Amino acid sequence: MEKENTFDPDLVHEIFKLVWKRKAAERGKNELSENIENEVGASSSKRIRPTFANANALKLSSELLRVFVAEAIQRAATIAEAEGSVKIEATHLERILPQLLLDF
Amino acid sequence: MLNNSPTMEDLDGGMASDVEREEEEAVTDLLRDRFRLYTISIAEDEAKQCGMEVSQPIITCISDLAFKFAEQLSKDLELFAHHAGRKSVNMEDVILSAHRNDHLAASLRSFCNDLKTKEPSLERKRKKNPRREGRVAPDLLRTPDT
Repeated sequence: MEKENTFDPDLVHEIFKLVWKRKAAERGKNELSENIENEVGASSSKRIRPTFANANALKLSSELLRVFVAEAIQRAATIAEAEGSVKIEATHLERILPQLLLDF
Repeated sequence: MLNNSPTMEDLDGGMASDVEREEEEAVTDLLRDRFRLYTISIAEDEAKQCGMEVSQPIITCISDLAFKFAEQLSKDLELFAHHAGRKSVNMEDVILSAHRNDHLAASLRSFCNDLKTKEPSLERKRKKNPRREGRVAPDLLRTPDT
């Protein structure tokens, strides 16, 4: 089986890092406001540190995203074929979208 | 998001956080565009295999969907890792995120096993200094408790 192209794990990592950074900042803000109320500041630093991921998990995540895209195209292609079309159009995507989102 | 009423802090740092948010949005847009490039190549490959053509707006749509999915996935993974008491996400978390779909979970697991079998050379390289890591790890483990 030839190697198909997939998402770059580094790109996936950057997306994840962005989300985690945002969440960590939010947590930090929440802790800060809690701390002002409770005046307990000892435990704040450890929980606001952002999460990180190992390399294999990122590869697996890119695979998951690739499967998502591939599945969307394949299902839409099936519908398009059934309708006798050679081009996948919006209506075909609309038909498969609910089940696709339920499956992921 | 629930408490949108402006507090003193928000009013103070309003300007700074606006600039920050704009910057963050710019970064997100950049990532979304890069993500789209990969989606295009995957989608066109896949369509070629089916003997189909895909109109460009559809690919854009799927790409945005996948991007949203990726953001959601990252939140899930973070929660799973934290629930397990870890700071880092590993492969089990990713497989767990697909637990609703047995077939998907199975295919991810086989991909995960492939990665593991492909990796032994890398693993061995890393195992050259496991003792050093072993020494560091207990410290790292201890700090969250104190």
